[in-house]
Amino acid sequence: MGRIDDIIVGIDLGTTNSLVAHSETAGPRVIIDPGVDDGGVLPSVVAIDPMSGRATVGREARAHAVEQPLTTIHSIKRLMGRGFAQLAEGVQQLPYRVVQRSSGGGKGARRDPRSSGPGLRDLAVVAIGQREYTPPEISAMILNELKHRAEKHFGHAIRKAVITVPAYFDDAQRQATRDAGLIAGLDVVRIVNEPTAAALAYGLDRRDDATVAVYDLGGGTFDISILRLTGGVFEVLSTHGDTQLGGDDFDRQIIGLATREIRELFGLDIDSPATRQSLWNFAEAVKMQLSNEQQASLQIDLGSGRVYERVVTRAEFEAMIAPFIDRTLDSCRQALKASGLKSGDVEQVITVGGSTRIPYVRQRVGELFGRRPYTALNPEQVVALGAAVQASILAGVRRDVLLLDVTPLSLGIETLGGAMGKLITANTKIPCQATETFTTFQDGQTAVKINVLQGERELVADCRSLGEFELRGVPPMPAGLPLVDVTFLIDQNGILNVSARERRSSQEAGIQIVPAHGLTRDEVRRMQIEAVEHAREDMSAHRLIDLRNQVEFDTHKAEQSLQRFGDLIEADERAAILREMKALRQFATASSDANAIHERLQKFGEMTLPLAQAAIGATLRETAK
Amino acid sequence: MADARTIPYQCASCNAVLISPVACDACHTLSERAPDLDHFGLLGIERWFQIDERALKQRYLALARSTHPDAFGGASDRLRELSVRLSAQVNEAYRVLRDPVLRAGYLLELAGGPSAAADRTVPPELLGSVMLIREELEEAKSAGDTVTIGRIRDDVRAERAATLDQIASLADAIDTVGPEQQQRIRALINSMKYYDNLLTETAVLSPES
Repeated sequence: MGRIDDIIVGIDLGTTNSLVAHSETAGPRVIIDPGVDDGGVLPSVVAIDPMSGRATVGREARAHAVEQPLTTIHSIKRLMGRGFAQLAEGVQQLPYRVVQRSSGGGKGARRDPRSSGPGLRDLAVVAIGQREYTPPEISAMILNELKHRAEKHFGHAIRKAVITVPAYFDDAQRQATRDAGLIAGLDVVRIVNEPTAAALAYGLDRRDDATVAVYDLGGGTFDISILRLTGGVFEVLSTHGDTQLGGDDFDRQIIGLATREIRELFGLDIDSPATRQSLWNFAEAVKMQLSNEQQASLQIDLGSGRVYERVVTRAEFEAMIAPFIDRTLDSCRQALKASGLKSGDVEQVITVGGSTRIPYVRQRVGELFGRRPYTALNPEQVVALGAAVQASILAGVRRDVLLLDVTPLSLGIETLGGAMGKLITANTKIPCQATETFTTFQDGQTAVKINVLQGERELVADCRSLGEFELRGVPPMPAGLPLVDVTFLIDQNGILNVSARERRSSQEAGIQIVPAHGLTRDEVRRMQIEAVEHAREDMSAHRLIDLRNQVEFDTHKAEQSLQRFGDLIEADERAAILREMKALRQFATASSDANAIHERLQKFGEMTLPLAQAAIGATLRETAK
Repeated sequence: MADARTIPYQCASCNAVLISPVACDACHTLSERAPDLDHFGLLGIERWFQIDERALKQRYLALARSTHPDAFGGASDRLRELSVRLSAQVNEAYRVLRDPVLRAGYLLELAGGPSAAADRTVPPELLGSVMLIREELEEAKSAGDTVTIGRIRDDVRAERAATLDQIASLADAIDTVGPEQQQRIRALINSMKYYDNLLTETAVLSPES
């Protein structure tokens, strides 16, 4: 595998919007669907028809969000690689239904249900009609749309992609993103951190050496990365962030304000799944207007002559979002501390992400670093452009650039007494690895369980479990004798790979992984197959529609011929055609067996052949006159 | 000390001069790391405590470039897998060698001395002095006396620097000293963590802008 001539596209899979880009000789470019005037921005919204399971993605899906709140999914990125228990709070405000799926974890997935312990899988899924969709499946639908867009642009199949993720994404969130790619039929050749991609897009390597801070505030995630650039090397010194903080939260503040005041003024509780989507739309509009104007007005018709009208000033909005901005600035300070730098050492600040269009955000960021943020590139496109640059590096087109990224979180294992034993600390350059030796506690024990964690806290309960890793095939020996060296390797994508070897027998030990908030390999494979079958079903649905149209056309033509030339054929032939015409129409409407309809349509063609010939003869005679 | 003592490696197939025996840019290939190749050897510098930090960084960046998996996007599975492992080892070598405390500890272990896990002792006078500093810090903290906190920070920094100098003066003779002297070096290295903890505390109490 890995043919260099395969085109690799760069994809920004965002909370609110997604884009696909590729590198041309002139530089990276966002791929635009010529049929839609959207600047290449695809809303990350998926509408699913509960009956057929058919998905619509993008603008059209968003347009129907108000009428179909339960079946229109937005902000799916917030659920990627997350457990239901971790989400409980934010989930209540989503218009669609999010439930917990803990079953179906494959063999050995069930164990005593401890809240954060290993073994118990907790997956947040979206429920639509009778079906549950995992977040990677929904994300795959968005990726599929982008893939189609690229395929239309290039005129051939696209199989490889670089996909960006927030720098602060943990292992489960990264794996979920890769799984989404696989389900969409994409080989995810690299996962790149969004702020790093933005730095690449700015082509900062062409400048002199510099220390740069990238502040990336999107729809649902926040990242800060501090980079040192020297001679084409992008060295990430530190990163920090919050994968559950973004523009969505600002919308939610406005929604909160409106629902509160409507309750006070009219005694109405308008917070229901049905109204939530329209409230989102109102809030978004207010937020955007306030980026350009000092105030924005909000008007909601509550029926029976009741209208809620409200003017929101910029100052009021800024007070609402200030606590969130404070949190992002705390992250910036943490990142600075980890890099060993002071805010004055940063020579350039780049702001990325739609939410940095808010003047207040730029102002506060500027104050912290003591310099005005640099915003030359479109903050919505810059990450996708950077992903395309990374794609050209992987394709071997660009050899002048080197990306040295870090792992955002410490990696460790559960030690005795529920403590987190760190093996790799946050901000270590990746790829990186650590080896730890495990042994057995009982005679003849052949399996060892390890709880692998990510986080900065001392106690297991405060960290995130990546899942239960079970070493198998340990040679049976007295307790404490086997020595299993387990290597934890974080690759260039920030994804953990684990391997084990028993020292005495130097035997490779098998490892079974039950991800705490992710999909097993078997599940991903099944979803891949389902997605392909779905595409095939879609195709046969198209064929059915085409055939039904053909039946309509052919029977209509025969009807006309019968009227004009019916007396030129035998009476019993006429009757048979009339009978079959009616029967065929009924059959085509009732049956969904495309092959049967096709067969019957062909027979009808043979049956009407004498009529057609008679019609041709008559027409010829007419013209000869 | 700015003199970069490097090891001259050569590529077995193209004779190019290499930074490290594991990577040849001219052949665009990688080789497995020999089991006895230490962090110094991997980065092609002689085993020595005194190090030219700029030269070390340059060698690291060059080697990181020739081993990084992004440079092997279209290569065979074997080469790609090897590049991930080698990159991790190069990153680890640089992490240890660039930090004087980690570097000294690493040299000590290479010389057969005790590891931090095996020997947790600190110089006998350290614990008493740390306790006194702690008390002083507590007092200054409850009085909100940032001037004193600042002075304590400067004192701790000075002591840390003096200890590091001591370590440095002993580290390059590490191969020739007996077990007693090795234990002393270990105790000095262990004491650095106490100074670092104190500095973190003073930073929390009175942040420097």
